[in-house]
Amino acid sequence: MSDVLLAVDDLRTYFATEEGVVRAVDGVSFTINRGERRGVVGESGSGKSVTAMSIMGLIEPPAGQIVTGAIDFDGLNLLELPEDEMRKVRGGRIAMIFQDPMTSLNPVYTIGQQLIETIVLHQNVSKSAAREIAAQSLADVQIPYPASRLDDFPHQFSGGMRQRVMIAMGLSCNPELLIADEPTTALDVTTQAQILDLMLALADDRGTSVLLITHDLGVVAGFCDTVQVMYAGGIVESGSASDIFYDPKHPYSWGLLGSMTRLDAAQMHRLNSVRGAPPSVINLPEGCRFRPRCDFALDVCRERLPLLGPSDVEGHTVACHRAAELDLKLVTSEGAPR
Amino acid sequence: MFAYIVRRLVYGVITLFVLSALVFMLVQFGGGSPLDRLRLNPRMVNVIQKLTVKYGLDLPLYQQYFKWLSGFVSVDRFVVLGASAWIGFGSVVAATAGLFFTKVKATWFRPARAFGVVAIWVSFFWFAKSRVDFAMDWGDSFRGDGPVWDLVFGAAGATFRLGVTALSLALIIGLPLGVFQAVRQYSFFDQVGTLGSFIAFSTPIFIVATGLQVVLAFYLERWTGLKLFFVVGMTQVGYGDLGRLAQMGDIFRHLALPALSIALISIAGYARFQRAAMLEVLHSDYLRTAKSKGLPRRTVLVKHALRNALLPIVTIVTLDVAGIIGGAIITESIFGWPGVGRLYIGAINAVDYPVIMAIVMVIGMGIVFMNIVADILYGVLDPRVRYE
Repeated sequence: MSDVLLAVDDLRTYFATEEGVVRAVDGVSFTINRGERRGVVGESGSGKSVTAMSIMGLIEPPAGQIVTGAIDFDGLNLLELPEDEMRKVRGGRIAMIFQDPMTSLNPVYTIGQQLIETIVLHQNVSKSAAREIAAQSLADVQIPYPASRLDDFPHQFSGGMRQRVMIAMGLSCNPELLIADEPTTALDVTTQAQILDLMLALADDRGTSVLLITHDLGVVAGFCDTVQVMYAGGIVESGSASDIFYDPKHPYSWGLLGSMTRLDAAQMHRLNSVRGAPPSVINLPEGCRFRPRCDFALDVCRERLPLLGPSDVEGHTVACHRAAELDLKLVTSEGAPR
Repeated sequence: MFAYIVRRLVYGVITLFVLSALVFMLVQFGGGSPLDRLRLNPRMVNVIQKLTVKYGLDLPLYQQYFKWLSGFVSVDRFVVLGASAWIGFGSVVAATAGLFFTKVKATWFRPARAFGVVAIWVSFFWFAKSRVDFAMDWGDSFRGDGPVWDLVFGAAGATFRLGVTALSLALIIGLPLGVFQAVRQYSFFDQVGTLGSFIAFSTPIFIVATGLQVVLAFYLERWTGLKLFFVVGMTQVGYGDLGRLAQMGDIFRHLALPALSIALISIAGYARFQRAAMLEVLHSDYLRTAKSKGLPRRTVLVKHALRNALLPIVTIVTLDVAGIIGGAIITESIFGWPGVGRLYIGAINAVDYPVIMAIVMVIGMGIVFMNIVADILYGVLDPRVRYE
């Protein structure tokens, strides 16, 4: 289970706006193995979605541009693939599920038309065979009466049902990588877990790798093998889910975890919040981007941008100058040593 | 759906009653009398007295109104010439009923059926025109021009020729222009299109019309010797003696400039509406989904974007079709076009209220009817809309 499916190397995606250049993704590198479930967490604007859109090749020039970097997907360099080759990958080998199921389906076409369209596009099958595949994929996501519901329009489905349809559409072509961009944010809390369980079970059945973008740490803890934490366009920490949760190395991850409500906490503690606000990605601070909000910042943090490097734990990387000396496990949220 | 249409028709009739009463009062209170012109001549006193009694101008206002109303809703003549018209009518009814009871489970079927029914009925009326003589008793013009029905429907043909040409031009040029502008937003093409639309939309029609006359007729002929376009009337003198092809050419040379004047403003309007509608769809989530499925750009733009972006335009265009009926007062006056608009302005100047009322009512009926058509069309095109 260690062969690499997707390798992103030093990806930089910038957007030109009237206020200046937005460095939405600024030097992101990571790999995803086959069958791996990767969680991506971070605040709004940290570059999670733009990373996903860059992988899908959905960054629209001239406003958005992938400045440098390489995205290697199973031996294909996605950034240099011609458009018609890229279209075969997009939707066929890499599928994406979006945040808001209420607006993600075309209102004037039936669910069946939209599913069949994708299947016919990526698999060499007839329309009637595609219809059967479509009905089967609706059955897979546990929609009752799948054959007849194919002829219903999106507005005849509830939000949760629509997200199931999106999942069915994403998985109908057996992709190797499924990117889910906050798939449950817009849903009822009670359906969130159902949808995630379903999506990940189906992905497991097919051996599909999952890149799950979320700002819900609980989701990541429950569903992901590995986690990367993003902040202001870069990855600040990456490792296995348990490493990040029980042994955070970066002050930002530590702050995020402290701001999470936990039912299994040994003792009651005040909910913490990461002070300040995320920096503007147009005018990033000098040195470490998290420095203005960090309780542990030193002079060196002002001078150099820390790079993602190994820590004392195997497979756990962190981008912090003080990662080795700080023992964040011991620091309570009440008082931070300086 | 059927109950909905019936309800809308009933509301429409009430609306038209209110409209007729309001307009009748406005015309009466507007000052002047249809016989004022005759008063300039002192020897006309007896004639004026006779006409006053004949037209019922001495009656109280409400009696005049009901006199007009009872005439307006009564049929003057209805003659069907030959059995072929009845057979045609029977088969059209049968075809319509058959189409509505046919069940085909495909999404193209519902729009195709709606289109088919409209086409059948339009072609039937085309066919029936020469075989059925029908007229309502809308009274006589106070100017002595004969029955109002014949006046209005005589002018309607000219107005339709001009209006349908202008609307088609506007649709054929305006909609694609808006789509391309949206697809290449902020490009040079888009900027030029926006500026052009802005200028065309804000130039008064009389300047556009006279400008086209001056440039494309007067100066074109003076500089190049080419006499391409006529500036007055629908056909030239001696039209009947021309060959078929020459007749078509003559119609085109008369139609081009007035149609273009009206179309220019509509092109600008449609291009702006279509651009805005398309931009909204282009930034929608479901378009991102369509792209992420790996569909070709063309499919994304036409099947997923344009289909949705045309929805709001349908309403605007349908109501503009209703607008054709009223004619184009200014353009028709400038180009000497014998249409409803020119009839209307002449009737207003002469306080010829049977003609004024008839035209207002025809426009009103057109707007009420096309409003219902727009709503039904919207229900056919947008699966989210349901009527009860």
